[in-house]
Amino acid sequence: MNESEIRRQLRDWIVSRAKEKPDEMVDETPILERGILSSLDVVELILFIERIKGDEVDMEKIQPEAIRDVNSIYQAFFGS
Amino acid sequence: MQTTEDIALKLTRASEKFFYDVATKITWPQTLDASDWTMSPELISLFGTEVWETLSDAQRKKLAFHEVAGFFSLILHGERPLLEGISHRMYLTEKNLNVLEYMHHFLDEENKHMMMFSGYLRRYVGKVYPEKKIAIARPMAKGEDDAAFFAKVLVVEELSDFYNIVMGQDERLPQVIREVNWTHHVDEARHIHFGRRYLSDIWNRSAATWTATEKETFRTWLVDYVNASWRDFYNPSVYRDAGIEDPHAARDEALSSAVCRAHRQKASQKFLENLVDSGILDEIPVLA
Repeated sequence: MNESEIRRQLRDWIVSRAKEKPDEMVDETPILERGILSSLDVVELILFIERIKGDEVDMEKIQPEAIRDVNSIYQAFFGS
Repeated sequence: MQTTEDIALKLTRASEKFFYDVATKITWPQTLDASDWTMSPELISLFGTEVWETLSDAQRKKLAFHEVAGFFSLILHGERPLLEGISHRMYLTEKNLNVLEYMHHFLDEENKHMMMFSGYLRRYVGKVYPEKKIAIARPMAKGEDDAAFFAKVLVVEELSDFYNIVMGQDERLPQVIREVNWTHHVDEARHIHFGRRYLSDIWNRSAATWTATEKETFRTWLVDYVNASWRDFYNPSVYRDAGIEDPHAARDEALSSAVCRAHRQKASQKFLENLVDSGILDEIPVLA
């Protein structure tokens, strides 16, 4: 799966989980700060990331800033 | 009606009476037969799903072995912030010396539980399943931090107790599994009694100053938290270790299965009823 497909899947998943659908969902949209996802959605997000990665995530290396928006998620979990 | 202090005094006496040394409490066998049931099959998270139906008896028992390890890991991770949060509040927000004396027993027993679960995982599994949580602060009403903390404590204790009671008495399981579950249950029965009352006190103190919206926000969060806690029971890493072909699809199926949903509702019922009786929830929610 290439980068743009991963980013699209992340955006789609986030919108599908949102309690209140955002007017706009781009890679810079702050997902927790805007209340699109709550802290209780984070585990599901991590599991979704593991699903598209096909591998488990090492949580020790992950900081809360990693899930600010799609850009930071991509960098933290899929970046080289 | 008994005061919280009366309850704490009574529970302290019980903790003193049932005090044990965790190093000698459990009889640990050299090895565990993982080809036999190590978890009550009806409690296995995939029980009642189509995936479950495709598994052979040997595959189900292999899943049981990893599932009970996932369950003990889950409790271990639940108890870690509990120890931290209770000790942080002692002598700071809680100053009643009799209540504090019970809190010391509470901490002592929780530490023993962690040693017990860790001891099991170290001897027979060789790992603890990691949790996938990231702590993120959210805006809270005055006093909501304490209410949310003690609500979280109760969720982990009440849900795990449902499993401990069943497995502690299930004669299909090895003695060591029954002992670990029953030892946890006996202590947790006291912790739950205390926790229900303590949360109710905090709610009565704090929520009295909250607006209707703030109360509703807390109630919504609490139901979401219970649902999220249940989802933690469905662990793709456990399924992967058990050799399930598509661990994420198996999880999806279990989360949406009517049988599994009915199990979650049933296992939560007493806990939810108590939250309604305390006025913390206004009605018993239908869980996801």
